[in-house]
Amino acid sequence: MLIEIRNLTKQFRKGGETITPLKDVTLDIDRGEFVSLMGPSGTGKSTLLNQIAGIDRPDSGSITVAGTEITHLSRSRLARWRAEHVGYIFQTHNLIPVLTAYENVELPLLLLPFDRAERRRRVQVALDAVDLANRASHYPRQLSGGQEQRIGIARAIVADPTVVVADEPTGDLDAATSEQILNLLQRLNRELGTTLLMVTHDTDAAEIAGRQLQLDHGRIVEVDRASATVDNLAQAK
Amino acid sequence: MFKFLPYILKTLWRHRARTLLTFSGAAVSLFVFCFVVSLQEGLDRLTSQSDSTLVVFQANKFCPATSHLQQDYDRIISRLPGVLDVVPIQVFTNNCRASLDVVVFYGVPPKKLRSVRDFELLAGSWSEFENNQDAGVVGQAVAQRRQLKTGDRFSIGEVTITVAGIFASENQAEENYIYTHLEFLQRTRGLDLVGTVTQHEVVLDPAVDPARVADQIDERFRGGPIQTDTRTKGTFQAASLADLVDLIGLTHYLGDACLGLMTVLILTTNFMSVQDRIREHAVLQTIGFSGARVFSLIMAESVLVSFAGGATGIVAALGVLANSGIAVSAEAVSLALTPSVTLTLTGLELSVAVGVLAGILPALAAARTEIVPALRAA
Repeated sequence: MLIEIRNLTKQFRKGGETITPLKDVTLDIDRGEFVSLMGPSGTGKSTLLNQIAGIDRPDSGSITVAGTEITHLSRSRLARWRAEHVGYIFQTHNLIPVLTAYENVELPLLLLPFDRAERRRRVQVALDAVDLANRASHYPRQLSGGQEQRIGIARAIVADPTVVVADEPTGDLDAATSEQILNLLQRLNRELGTTLLMVTHDTDAAEIAGRQLQLDHGRIVEVDRASATVDNLAQAK
Repeated sequence: MFKFLPYILKTLWRHRARTLLTFSGAAVSLFVFCFVVSLQEGLDRLTSQSDSTLVVFQANKFCPATSHLQQDYDRIISRLPGVLDVVPIQVFTNNCRASLDVVVFYGVPPKKLRSVRDFELLAGSWSEFENNQDAGVVGQAVAQRRQLKTGDRFSIGEVTITVAGIFASENQAEENYIYTHLEFLQRTRGLDLVGTVTQHEVVLDPAVDPARVADQIDERFRGGPIQTDTRTKGTFQAASLADLVDLIGLTHYLGDACLGLMTVLILTTNFMSVQDRIREHAVLQTIGFSGARVFSLIMAESVLVSFAGGATGIVAALGVLANSGIAVSAEAVSLALTPSVTLTLTGLELSVAVGVLAGILPALAAARTEIVPALRAA
């Protein structure tokens, strides 16, 4: 198993009230799986995603990714672990505005022991994978929303991470662009074997994943284990 | 760290108005700071001169115009043990009070000048100086200030000389003086001061105790028609500049204020920059940048702006100091403001130090960003 989550609990205090979006969550994700996590807003989908991505810590329970138990890593070691093992696709792409598309994609590689030639090669591969090699020298302000998200995806995969997490990757996009992005994610999973965990509130988007989960009152519910194809997405529309 | 230089530079250029204003503030601060330090260095150089030269002045007199020693005191003084040479000097100045534009003439026996002063003649000739009584050799600082060149006729008050040469000296304060013939200066202005001089400069054997020789000189002339007050040259010059010494000491606070202002300016800019980029720093940490890495990026930005601005101010100050010949004078003693290696290195070190100091708190704030709340920030 690539990702093993055991009895994960996370609580927040909000206005004097304690909210428990995650309650004794137990989940396994295999290498190469494309998993979508659905649920209405505020149900803890992003919270779970952030635990797995190592940018938030649970109150109890454990998360093991590729044999590393990450919940007790120090802040600096967790950062190092993220650089080596996690690719994060944001809802609002969050590209660095002063850097070109090339430089944005290269950013994770600067944290790893690659020389300039190797970095250049990997960035080229990532840009080719998202069909934006011809936009390498453009700044985010010169790209469309869909192109920015594709650059965000390239940045997430450039270091060949163990797992790619996507938090509402189509949340800010129109239908046509969303379809492009989802197709791209599906292709990455199919052709590169990338392990993907995608959070979405859109059922159509969720159905392209090979495995669908639902978060219900802090607990995981398996929805569907049927393999997803592009046809499934088109039929759902 | 060099891998991140493009990101650092582009980030600074993103808010170019803010960056340029901060840079300019740093430049102005170090520009003023250099003048303050140069003033203090000039005073230190003047007052820490070799103890093996004494100045014999008339007792209880302060301005050169009021000191009238017997010229033949030099024969008496030269017989004292440990005395290598005695140079009678007539001093004329256009202003005895503290001023930035004082012209000081030193009248000396022309044949003695080269033996008691280590001057390098940049233009003109010694023979021209020695063979013409109204000739003078001009320090390069005065020549710059007054735009003088060899062959020019130069007048201050009733004194008019022909510039026979322009000299440079390792003792940069000397470059604010004009040396002419002793007898010329004694006879000029319609006065006949032949036989009297303003002061005697006594060159000692380095092995003797200058205080002992000074006491011997004063003791020799105590009770006579003209009593003397003999001090080491450094002490004499410090006493001449006594009015200025305290003021120069106060400028130390001005220098500190410049650095303080620069620190506050850069600190403010850094905080504004960090607040503008809360989400960006959270994104960097999500990608895998550690808190320490984010800290170092902010510090690098701070030090870069501080150093670049500071270095620019230092270069500008050095240029002005090197080319303007600025000197502060009082009672015919000049304090030269000149560039120096120590000044340059001190300024550069402080530029870096200010950058570090002004970067710490904002960098810590950025490094300790909680990722999830920051990603949600607008």
